[in-house]
Amino acid sequence: MQSENRIDPKLVEEILKFNKNVIEAPKHVPAPDEIILEVTPHDVALEIDKARLLHYKPLTDKQHKTPLLISYALINRYHILDIQPEKSWVRNLVQQGFDVYMLDWGNPTAMDKYLDFDDYINGYLDGAVEFIKNESSVEKISLQGYCTGATLATAYTTLHPESVKNYIATAPVIDGWRDTTVISNLAKNMDVDKMVETIGNMPPEFMYYCFSVLKPFEQGIEKYVKFFKNIENKKFVDNFLRVEKWLSDTPPIPGELFKQWIKDIYQDNLLIQNKMYVNNSHIDLKKIDMPIFTQVAVGDHLVSPECSMPLHYAVGSEDKTLRMYPTGHVGMIASSLSQKKVLPELGQWLLERS
Amino acid sequence: MKPQSPEETVEYYKHLSLFWTDLIHLMSSKPQALGSTGPMRAFAANSKKVSTELIEINENLMGFNKFLTEYYKQLAETWNEAQKKVNLKAPEVPQDVEQIEAFKRIWIDIFDNDFTELFDSKKFGENYGKLVSKELELTKHWNNITNVILQSVNLPSKEEIDEVYKELHSLKKRITKLEIESKKGKGKNAK
Repeated sequence: MQSENRIDPKLVEEILKFNKNVIEAPKHVPAPDEIILEVTPHDVALEIDKARLLHYKPLTDKQHKTPLLISYALINRYHILDIQPEKSWVRNLVQQGFDVYMLDWGNPTAMDKYLDFDDYINGYLDGAVEFIKNESSVEKISLQGYCTGATLATAYTTLHPESVKNYIATAPVIDGWRDTTVISNLAKNMDVDKMVETIGNMPPEFMYYCFSVLKPFEQGIEKYVKFFKNIENKKFVDNFLRVEKWLSDTPPIPGELFKQWIKDIYQDNLLIQNKMYVNNSHIDLKKIDMPIFTQVAVGDHLVSPECSMPLHYAVGSEDKTLRMYPTGHVGMIASSLSQKKVLPELGQWLLERS
Repeated sequence: MKPQSPEETVEYYKHLSLFWTDLIHLMSSKPQALGSTGPMRAFAANSKKVSTELIEINENLMGFNKFLTEYYKQLAETWNEAQKKVNLKAPEVPQDVEQIEAFKRIWIDIFDNDFTELFDSKKFGENYGKLVSKELELTKHWNNITNVILQSVNLPSKEEIDEVYKELHSLKKRITKLEIESKKGKGKNAK
């Protein structure tokens, strides 16, 4: 007599195949440590303390006159903007003829715990801008800020509008009270004074915890199941490992900078209310009067659109553009959508103003 | 000489007590002085601090456990609720590959939604904030105990190292400011 609960042979086949993939995975893929994340050729043009200014080598015969400086986020490293040739934000812009620089904030150590907004804005960012202006013999540059890097770039632009010709804010962290993400909920309830007093810099482990509560089951289980299922798909696996390596490499954030960021942006929401000060200088968003392009991702679960969009309405510029893309925080800068849609639109916008 | 009156008796015992107190103090300070440059003297002098920190650690540990219990309670409750929703939506045990795929999708979507809702909630944020705060207090006590040990071997404490970091940071700022002013001055002179 046949049993009614027969196991589907396809299911057995799937399980065996999955097991085989897990066992054979090391044969197909490199270890994350063996992967080099920097893909587009560049020089280190300037070093200020631990921060480095990267200058990407031209890939076209002619370049547009106004150089572009990218202010990367404080979380994770800058590699996501140059993660692999076909998804590289930087390479795409260089191929469009732009002269691209990027600020790598470096890896702060315990002795950097007193670095604050002033050091990052009026020290590193301003140092990089002045260097580029000198090198390129221009009076103004184009500036792009991504995520928390856009918070710094926004503050910089209000304090030094004379140096910024065009400003691009990509998923900027601006209005902390409107932010609907889990990160914002944790930040609002954080005793940041005690944290900095006790442990100094914000440790990477804390950031890893924050990442782990973002879509915990999709990101914590399903993602890895997909990885092993697709182990023979070279392109998929390469992209997966690169992003994983990037995700697992976040530097500490200097204590004083972290304190002001959490308090002024998430807890007291001073930036969007024009009540923020950096080293006694008032951060007035109305002083951003140059062309501004704000890029927002509808599915962003790290910086919600409600947190970024208020910048568009708060600045003093008359020439302002707001674009929303059907993707997420990383998808906006490192995906096929960013290559096909986000970057061509940005390139066109910049070209008309460079 | 034996005391004759009650007043003399009081004086006698007062003198006796002071004599022995002073003498014991003088005698006991000799071995202390002998080891005054050794590590144990500083450690012994601060051992009271270590005991106090340990008592306070116990108090904080109780608070920490309270918030940790609440943290896991919230996770467990959310898990149970999410599982109930999955059971309602997919009551049948999946039999083939397609059904398993569909079931997995439902499970992940419901669990991700419910847990995101929890992590976004005020009750989670508040409890998590308090949990981290208690953990930091425990770290603070541990730092204080470590400082006692560092001082006993003549090494700078965390606060003393922090002072050096602060001073370095301030000096760097001053140097940068001076460099900018010097550049401006050179520019003016060149004109």
